[in-house]
Amino acid sequence: MRKTTPFLILMAAAWSAGAADLHPPAQTTAGNPISIASSGAGDATFYLIGPASVIKRQVKAGTDIAVDGDDLQNSGRYVAILCGSDGCGSSPFFVTPAAPNRVSLQVHPSRVPVGSVNGISAVAFVFDNLHNLVLKSPPVKFSILPKDGREVSADRPVENAIAWVRLTSARKEGTTKIGAAIGHADEVRVVEQVAAEACNLRIHANRDKNGFLVETDPVRDCSGNPVPDGTVVSFTMSDSAGKSTVDVPIKRGVAKITMPSKGRARISAASGVVTGNELEVGG
Amino acid sequence: MSVALRYCVLAVGLAGLLCAIAVLHLRASASDEVPRVQFNAKNVGPRAIEDLTSQHIPRDYALAWQTMEQALERNRPDLLDAYFTGFAKEDLTKRVRSQIRAGMHVRYQDRGHHLEGIFYAPAGDVMELHDRAQLDLQIYDGGKVIYDEPIDAQYVVLMTPGADRWLVRKLQAVSGEKP
Repeated sequence: MRKTTPFLILMAAAWSAGAADLHPPAQTTAGNPISIASSGAGDATFYLIGPASVIKRQVKAGTDIAVDGDDLQNSGRYVAILCGSDGCGSSPFFVTPAAPNRVSLQVHPSRVPVGSVNGISAVAFVFDNLHNLVLKSPPVKFSILPKDGREVSADRPVENAIAWVRLTSARKEGTTKIGAAIGHADEVRVVEQVAAEACNLRIHANRDKNGFLVETDPVRDCSGNPVPDGTVVSFTMSDSAGKSTVDVPIKRGVAKITMPSKGRARISAASGVVTGNELEVGG
Repeated sequence: MSVALRYCVLAVGLAGLLCAIAVLHLRASASDEVPRVQFNAKNVGPRAIEDLTSQHIPRDYALAWQTMEQALERNRPDLLDAYFTGFAKEDLTKRVRSQIRAGMHVRYQDRGHHLEGIFYAPAGDVMELHDRAQLDLQIYDGGKVIYDEPIDAQYVVLMTPGADRWLVRKLQAVSGEKP
């Protein structure tokens, strides 16, 4: 009897300590309801602390505690706590992401010169329906849909919720759509492919009443795409009065300016890193 | 002799009391300290990380944790504005608001973070990181501690650049298995 008394006291203490115990599943999926078994008896307070929510409600210890899927939408670590008259018991558990069903696509830049090798990057982030990152998932399918060409697509593996690809822009200017798809979800971004730097810049000049009217031929890149209006062409004139430079934006495909000079002059043009022909006028 | 012994016991008792007060004070002001963050950017890619970025990421991540701990302890969602954006800010704001409704708050004793750069987007506009954090978490209902446990947690983090700092866009705890 003397030997069994401490054992009974220990058993009673263990029963008392376990009065507010909880047994949630070690792991569950985001958005799924669960039932948490509890032990003990009497009125108790149930707490569930998650990444984006805190629940506190009165329950009967010893019953199964139902938790709605709405309260388990965020993937991450949750702590379930049950406090009764004789203390609190707790148990952490993990909520893992649901199946991949959303993709967030970032494409840069939104405007790119034609023929830029690896000039476009597309990065896809894989989420479930509840905005949780899905770290392991099937590959993402990237697609390129040119305005007047056929679609090209390729799969890229997902590592740590990310799939990405580098692309070279087309030789011809115009818009192109870049898409990423996983499961039933897809996202599309539009990239404007614009002419690259001017190529073979040519100028010609005619005398007018105020000096020389200098004008470029239609300014095009090396692929033959017209360089966008607004691109600056710098005209430089050297004559007996010295050297002067004027920046002129391209309008309707050409840049032109009247440069005042009465004697002989040398005129050249440049756009970006490209220089054009040099003219010798007057005399 | 007995008087000396009495003074000795008193001194030891007083020292113990002072230590207890100091420990309590340290715990209370834990979120006022910037957590330690060790940053490893050796394996980050495909973009090579810039020197300035490799300095700013651990600094801003540490400040993000500090403000998050303060927001969750003081139930002040406004503190999240400085270093959080997107889903991370949305989720943490919801968490603080539900803490306020339940009359609860949490207190973190932050024992440091091992932060590893995993992915740096080619355009430099997003970085994915993995964090192994060591924390002591206390959960309070009113003034009563209902949970007090050390945690060895792992997080997947997305950070994006803001005007003058990197912001936490997603902070998701993952279970023990390697993601």
